[in-house]
Amino acid sequence: MEFPAVLFPSYFGAGPPREEGGPALAAGWGEHGQVLEGSPGRRQQAQPGFVPRRGGTGETWNPAEVAAVPVLPPSAGRWIPSPAPQDILYRNNVCWKLRAGRSGATLDFAKQLGHFFEDHPEDAFGSMGRLLHKNFFLGNSKVKRPARSSTIRMTALMQDIDRLEARRGCHQQHLASRLRWFSHLCRDWLFEVPLGLLADCLHEELLLQWSDLLFDDSLTGGALAWLPTGDTGSRTGRLVYPGGQAMNHLFFQDIVVEELPRARGSPAQFELSGRIRQVAAARVDGEDFVGVRSDYHCGVWKVPGRTGTAPAPLQVIHTDVPASCLTVSPHLPGELAVCTQSGTVYLWNVETGLQQLRHEPQTMFFRDHSPWRWSDFTAHPRVLSCADRTGLQCLDARAPKKCHFDLFKVGEEAGCQQGERVVLPMYLGRAHPSQYLVTTQFSMYILDERLPLVPVLKWAHMMKAPPLFAHLMPGDPGRTHKVLLGASRTQELLLLQYQGERWSSRGGSQSACQLAGAPQKLHSIAGCLQHLPTQLPHHHHQLQQRLGAPAAGLAAMLQEDGTCETMLVFQLSEAGDVFCQRLTHETAHPPAPTSRDEATTAPGSSPLFEAPASSPLGLGTAALRYHRWLRALFRGCREATQHSLPPSLSQRRLFTCKELEGPTGPTALQRQVRQWLRQVMQEGGHIQRWEPMALQPPPLPQPPEPEGGPDLLSTRLTAAWSGDWEQWWEDRTSFSMAQRQRALRERRRRQKQTRGRRSLSASFTSSLTYQSELSELSDAGPPVLSPGRPHILSQEGSPPASSPPLPGSPLASPAPEEALLSSQSLHCRGIPKERRKTLRDYLSVWAEAPPEPPELPGSQASQLCIPSSQSQLSSASQTRRKRPRMGF
Amino acid sequence: SSHEHKLNFKRSKEACLSYIQDAMLQKQWKRAAEFLTFYVESLEKDYSREPIGPSEMIWRIGTEILCHHSRSSTKEFNCFMEQMKTLGVKRYLKVCLEHVFHLLCNGQIDEAYQNLSLAESWRFGEQTALQDKEMKLIQAYRGLLDYYSWSKQKNILLEHGKCLDGFADLSVEQEMHSCFRKAAMNLKEIIKIPGVWDLFVKCYVDLLEFYGDHNEACQVLNEYAYNSKFPANPNAHVYLYQFLKRQGESKKSLISALKILHDIVPSHELMIDFNTMLQKSKKRKKRRLGLEVIFAALDYAGWKENVKAWSCLARQVKQIVISGKHLDWIKQEWNSRKDWWPAFHFSRYLAKRNWQENKSLSYEKALVAGILLGKDCKYFKYVSHQGCKAQVKRFRMLKKFVNRHNPVYLRISG
Repeated sequence: MEFPAVLFPSYFGAGPPREEGGPALAAGWGEHGQVLEGSPGRRQQAQPGFVPRRGGTGETWNPAEVAAVPVLPPSAGRWIPSPAPQDILYRNNVCWKLRAGRSGATLDFAKQLGHFFEDHPEDAFGSMGRLLHKNFFLGNSKVKRPARSSTIRMTALMQDIDRLEARRGCHQQHLASRLRWFSHLCRDWLFEVPLGLLADCLHEELLLQWSDLLFDDSLTGGALAWLPTGDTGSRTGRLVYPGGQAMNHLFFQDIVVEELPRARGSPAQFELSGRIRQVAAARVDGEDFVGVRSDYHCGVWKVPGRTGTAPAPLQVIHTDVPASCLTVSPHLPGELAVCTQSGTVYLWNVETGLQQLRHEPQTMFFRDHSPWRWSDFTAHPRVLSCADRTGLQCLDARAPKKCHFDLFKVGEEAGCQQGERVVLPMYLGRAHPSQYLVTTQFSMYILDERLPLVPVLKWAHMMKAPPLFAHLMPGDPGRTHKVLLGASRTQELLLLQYQGERWSSRGGSQSACQLAGAPQKLHSIAGCLQHLPTQLPHHHHQLQQRLGAPAAGLAAMLQEDGTCETMLVFQLSEAGDVFCQRLTHETAHPPAPTSRDEATTAPGSSPLFEAPASSPLGLGTAALRYHRWLRALFRGCREATQHSLPPSLSQRRLFTCKELEGPTGPTALQRQVRQWLRQVMQEGGHIQRWEPMALQPPPLPQPPEPEGGPDLLSTRLTAAWSGDWEQWWEDRTSFSMAQRQRALRERRRRQKQTRGRRSLSASFTSSLTYQSELSELSDAGPPVLSPGRPHILSQEGSPPASSPPLPGSPLASPAPEEALLSSQSLHCRGIPKERRKTLRDYLSVWAEAPPEPPELPGSQASQLCIPSSQSQLSSASQTRRKRPRMGF
Repeated sequence: SSHEHKLNFKRSKEACLSYIQDAMLQKQWKRAAEFLTFYVESLEKDYSREPIGPSEMIWRIGTEILCHHSRSSTKEFNCFMEQMKTLGVKRYLKVCLEHVFHLLCNGQIDEAYQNLSLAESWRFGEQTALQDKEMKLIQAYRGLLDYYSWSKQKNILLEHGKCLDGFADLSVEQEMHSCFRKAAMNLKEIIKIPGVWDLFVKCYVDLLEFYGDHNEACQVLNEYAYNSKFPANPNAHVYLYQFLKRQGESKKSLISALKILHDIVPSHELMIDFNTMLQKSKKRKKRRLGLEVIFAALDYAGWKENVKAWSCLARQVKQIVISGKHLDWIKQEWNSRKDWWPAFHFSRYLAKRNWQENKSLSYEKALVAGILLGKDCKYFKYVSHQGCKAQVKRFRMLKKFVNRHNPVYLRISG
């Protein structure tokens, strides 16, 4: 390849960057840079013609649609969005904090720690909680004198916390003394994991998440690749992209390019053991080699060029330190370059294995904290480039220690700004064998390895986020090369054109690199939102979140179809959606460019969903695509949300009809109870206490042996039910504790006698009250009978036949239901233990429901509220807003 | 309050700018122009301390819009530029330079020259380092334009010299000499500063050569090529080589110039010339270097399908094989390449493609492959088979030659 005969003039200085840094919005406009004599052949005849370094004319590519269009149906399964700034930052100062950058942000550490305690109470407080539970009172009532010495009323503390929360932001914060006292008392021993250690870990993780949020370099290179099949003119190709809930499935999808690309057949799928960060591809000898990078694994696949052939995995390597780069050699089959964050560069050959080229934890030209490293191939198959944030070096794989040279340096040599850092280097071999693209957060550079350190082209790209993805579409001789730059967080896409050849087809010598035409912004995925039909607010929000997900990859293809040339640009989002946009090449300049595009992009108008007059189908294909995609998305979301909601109230879903159907007819007990109820109602009295002892006790089933260690709660309940709960309790606790308990029970009974019936509501909200009540009941001795108590029930084993129950009677209905709730009856119906738990969860929903059964016997009430404490917690954690997973 | 006012103003300014930016990136120049008229207000209350202030923004954006707007005219553009020059002292030279570039690209050489002269006479207090650089560039471009008018007059004179004589010639000649003086003075200045000055160096050397100052020209070119403060520009060595060639310098000096170019850029296109030159040499060392040069050039992806280079290699390899001497040269070169050249150059896929696309390329490559890898190598087998099938005589000869010299392969690879 020839070297340009004349280069554009430029100064060359050495040293650190002198120019003061900072992103500037308009820095890339209005400059020609330098000029060069364009055509020396014509000088004799007339004036010399000059060509500018920037500002020449480029090709015109017009977007065919007003928005990017989904290529594939939305991925199944619920997508978990990555944390947003408002999840991590303290309060609402998100906007300006983001701009202020790393230093200005205040991370909401306390909120995240609180989330941990609420989500993982067992891990946080497990053993202490078990030891202390009788000293914490969760009821609303006052704690009476004798118990007060050893019991804390937690509701009061909670109120204090709420009050504190409400006063947040107030300058004069007075900590409630009770809270301060409590925290002083407990801070050192209450936590399962030492608080300091936990806080350190959490803080570290928060910082990591925040820096990822500011700039996540693990995505560098992008995880989307387009493999054309066969010749360049073919209308089919393969899209390689990650998918699945954890983005750990690799898909190879055949695509047919019609007006819009369309999937053909089902994709070849591979499940990997980590989140896919990068997919790199190169074609060697008619075969595509696809490298896939996740944090600790890199793999390579071979895809034969012919259609219909399955991709074959070749090899996988495992790294101890996360890999930061994987590139595939465009020269030799099965050769890749791998970099890890420890500063090691490997040349990986599928046949001969790994060859370490360099191990250098320090950055090359000046000190920078980032462990990011990159490597790519150059014009020489044995020479690799190595990059860190400070620049690029080329080294020879045959003698990596000795033979190397600097290709790019962040410094005065390239006219860099202060604070500028390398973001993505890319070998432009398909356009020109010795050219290289380097992007920084401010500019893009094109370098020629034959003239190192001096960029042959430099341009301030003005993108809001650093370009992490780039894609090259080489042009034929006489045409421009197209480069796409893509950013992750802002989803920006920029199309640039450059050329390194003369326009004339006389085969004149290579001319210096020029940027051709104005840069062009392409549609981002989120940009389609304004063109979509109006959605229900929650759907709109969902869509906004989904479409606004950071971009994760970029691919493109050029296609020639007779006279019409089209460019297809694919964009992958972190949610796993692949969107596509089509651009058409305008060969001749139209006489008067209509302001069609200027009008259509104004917000509000949505020509995407208007029927174009020219189309016979009514709605355009793009609109149809969208309809389908939206429908599939919302269907998927609905299924997902149903899955995560608390159990529904319909019993039919929990149990089959058969299971619900009891043994034929009501049992003797049920009949008795009904009869009794009826009698009491006739008399106008009320039942103060069920008298199970007085009734014929139902045949007790042998308590089931719990598998894998007895569950504390269920063994206790079984003991209580069979009557030897006292014994059980004695076994469990020391004597003194039991004594104290008895005193408490005694007091409670007296209290109850004076007050009458106590409300049940407290027992619904706390398991502690339930416990005390349970103990009270079980060792209450002979029950105090109410005066209105029917005598008939005191007869043991009285035949129920005397008063047959009325089947349609509304009074009769609660009885079987109550019977259903006892674990024994569940057990004798053959309902397995897990199902019983589900049922209890289901019942917990009742626990929150305001109307209470007016008068329920204590024993059944205690049955009812068994699961309340735990299920309440679980339902609460489900209904709370989704929060970022912090890696717990 | 005033603070709030400032904040609001700043916000709306930013919003306006982002609208402009958005429109421009979508090539909606009209819309951008409308927004820019609002943005001009930001000049009035410029509280910003950013590196690029509103006046520079307006200059940059306005220039870009005027370059693309369908209804902009040259007159409007010049008018806008004049206004922009007065807007900021610090940027005066930069704006001038860009204006000149625009004029040059539109073929308005005379206007450009006027602007350059005007800018050169501009003085304002102490100059910053940046302004100093810009001033030097302005002078250099003026020198360049002087050079062009010099060369124009030179051509007139050369044409006229054949048929005319008299006073007219004298004035033209005088003007030509004054152009020379101006051009030489300005061009000489800039090429002293480290940088890439291909254009200026070429012109300056042309001037010097015309007036017979070969020593000066040689010195300038040597300085440009070998001064370590300058970037390693391959063109500097190319110019020196071309100059030496024009001067009819000895082979030795030509070779030493090219040797340095080979060390910097082994993939330079002049390596073919270098190889032919070395091959013709009688010295063993030089022929050895020639083999090295051509092997090194063919390492690069850009040379993969270069017929000239492959025929150079094939010729030299064939020579060595026939003579039977210096097989160790090939062996040494091959040693560092044998693990990757077969996949890089001699795969079956490439054999097929080269045969389809370029028969003579596949002939040269097959010869090299046959010698380096033996007669069983995929590339050679495929090409010779196809060649024999197509009844091409030279392919049959090739097959015979390789078969006869197959033991060479064993010695090279052994």
